[in-house]
Amino acid sequence: MIRAENISFRVGTFRLQGLNLEIAKGEYFVLLGPPGAGKTIFLECLCGLKKVESGRIHIDRRDVTGLEPRTRGIGYVPQDYALFPHLSVEQNIAFGLRAHGYSDVKVDETADLLGIRRLLSRRIGGLSGGEKQRVALARALVLKPKILLLDEPVCALDEVTRQEVCAQLLAIQRRLGLTTVHVSHNLEEAFSVADRAAILHDGILQQVGPLNILLRKPNSEFVARFMRSENIFSAEVTGKDAGDTDTLVRVAGVDLHIPGRHGGKLLFMIRPEDVLVHPGPHPAVGQNALRARLVRSRDCGGYVRVELDGPFNLVAHITHAAFAQLEHKHESDVIAELSPESVHVLPG
Amino acid sequence: MKAAMNTPVRGWRDRVFSAVAFLFVSVFIVFVLVLILADVFYVDRKAVMTVLSSKFILHALWMSTWTSVLSTLIALLFAVPMGYALSRFRFPGHILADAVVDLPIVFPPLVVGLTLLVFFSQTALGRWIQEDLGLEFVFQPKGIVLCQFVAAASFAIRSAKTAFDDVDRRYEHVALTLGCTQWGSFRRVSLPLARNGIIAGGILTWARAFGLFGPLMIFVGSFRGRTEVLSTTIFLEQSVGNLEVALAIALLLIFVALIAVTGIRLAGGSTLVKL
Repeated sequence: MIRAENISFRVGTFRLQGLNLEIAKGEYFVLLGPPGAGKTIFLECLCGLKKVESGRIHIDRRDVTGLEPRTRGIGYVPQDYALFPHLSVEQNIAFGLRAHGYSDVKVDETADLLGIRRLLSRRIGGLSGGEKQRVALARALVLKPKILLLDEPVCALDEVTRQEVCAQLLAIQRRLGLTTVHVSHNLEEAFSVADRAAILHDGILQQVGPLNILLRKPNSEFVARFMRSENIFSAEVTGKDAGDTDTLVRVAGVDLHIPGRHGGKLLFMIRPEDVLVHPGPHPAVGQNALRARLVRSRDCGGYVRVELDGPFNLVAHITHAAFAQLEHKHESDVIAELSPESVHVLPG
Repeated sequence: MKAAMNTPVRGWRDRVFSAVAFLFVSVFIVFVLVLILADVFYVDRKAVMTVLSSKFILHALWMSTWTSVLSTLIALLFAVPMGYALSRFRFPGHILADAVVDLPIVFPPLVVGLTLLVFFSQTALGRWIQEDLGLEFVFQPKGIVLCQFVAAASFAIRSAKTAFDDVDRRYEHVALTLGCTQWGSFRRVSLPLARNGIIAGGILTWARAFGLFGPLMIFVGSFRGRTEVLSTTIFLEQSVGNLEVALAIALLLIFVALIAVTGIRLAGGSTLVKL
């Protein structure tokens, strides 16, 4: 549905470099990245608001690289929504219809879809953040675009409204079968809506795939850190294990088993939620079990983040139930278990 | 009560700050009113009756009014596209063009009159316009409009540019994705959003044109019943010793200007009251 081929764009010292991306029809795609990564610029290139330096953009098998924004069949919701302050909610939603010379009958239908019919006579200035977001979405959807581009659509909303709006976005996207590109820097937001995602950094696309792959099999240290993998270590290969399927590596004087065959020096990671923490000494200490000291803990709502000081520092996310067993073990020994299956070697 | 609820809790330093700001407002307003009142008390009933019954003075009032309105409309006709172009487009010589817009503001007013006179009487192009095209400006009512336009249009253009600068381009971008051409996004988004700034520029332009004196004396003179406007009438009356009449005309000019400027704000609704 959307194919970006070798897109390059330069503004000041920043450059979007040879970006290739394909998004399937009806897919909800999230473009992730830190601020300044080039996400908005890429979205504006897709819209035609920025003219690409090189490369081609295809939408629905049509080359739209040289087409004006109004002929690309795109619905666009910019960051902070950019609702026209001199128009009412109804006039904002009807804006695109009038620009195309259509009648306003679809305004009510679209307002109903988003549950904002009661707002139609209101001015923009008096709307809440969530209401503005819905109006901006209605304005983009009223023309029945094939593609919806959302630039940080919920970043200005509070946590509860953000969850509600994300659920609504996904429901509408599924109902209308819209191919959607959603730009965000927020992982929770991405997990609540994305079929697939990509991570952009310094104008370069780092990795594309389902979120669980980006989470568990990142292809670089940057992606791993962006996906909040805090346990990233460099190690030196010391040999193979007896079964010849795992590799033995040494980190801070400790031998660990990691899956696959590797050589030389490498970087590996284990996600905090995959680190098992037992009250020590554990009776069944197996492979990759380390003695450590629990030095800090923080209740993060759904889980407890614990910091362990052992041969090397580790962060683990454990359940409240698991933490309850450790609570009297503060500043005392625990066993941290790094299951070899959960260890991921970062491609070097 | 609503305004009070919207005001943050203030300490004594904030009150002192507000009081100082308000003091400056008061001093300026009182000073201007005292000056006007000094004129009011100086003018006697006879002078007022002379002004109101003189067909030449009423003609000068009419000339001042229509020429200043026409020159303001022409200035706005230039100001809107020019303000938009200077705000939105970058082209070779952009900075020079921007500076040239301000030149007539910097000129001493007399220089505008002299420059126009030299252009139309001493250059081949000027003479061609006057003699071959038949567009006579020197010592003609048309010259009043041209003089006012040259002296005052910069205010309209500068205000329009600032107003367009203040319109976030994202609004125009969204309009483009919603089916507008660039003209459509200008007409339906940028222009309405810049409206207040453009009107503010129009008020400044009109005020400058309405009270213009020096360049008119040089370029069109002050012929009774032909090119005489209120500002030149004031000069002529005071130069022959009719100070009371001159001040009565000045009060008439101030009164008309006050009515017009206040009227525009009120007619424009709450948003223009903020101008």
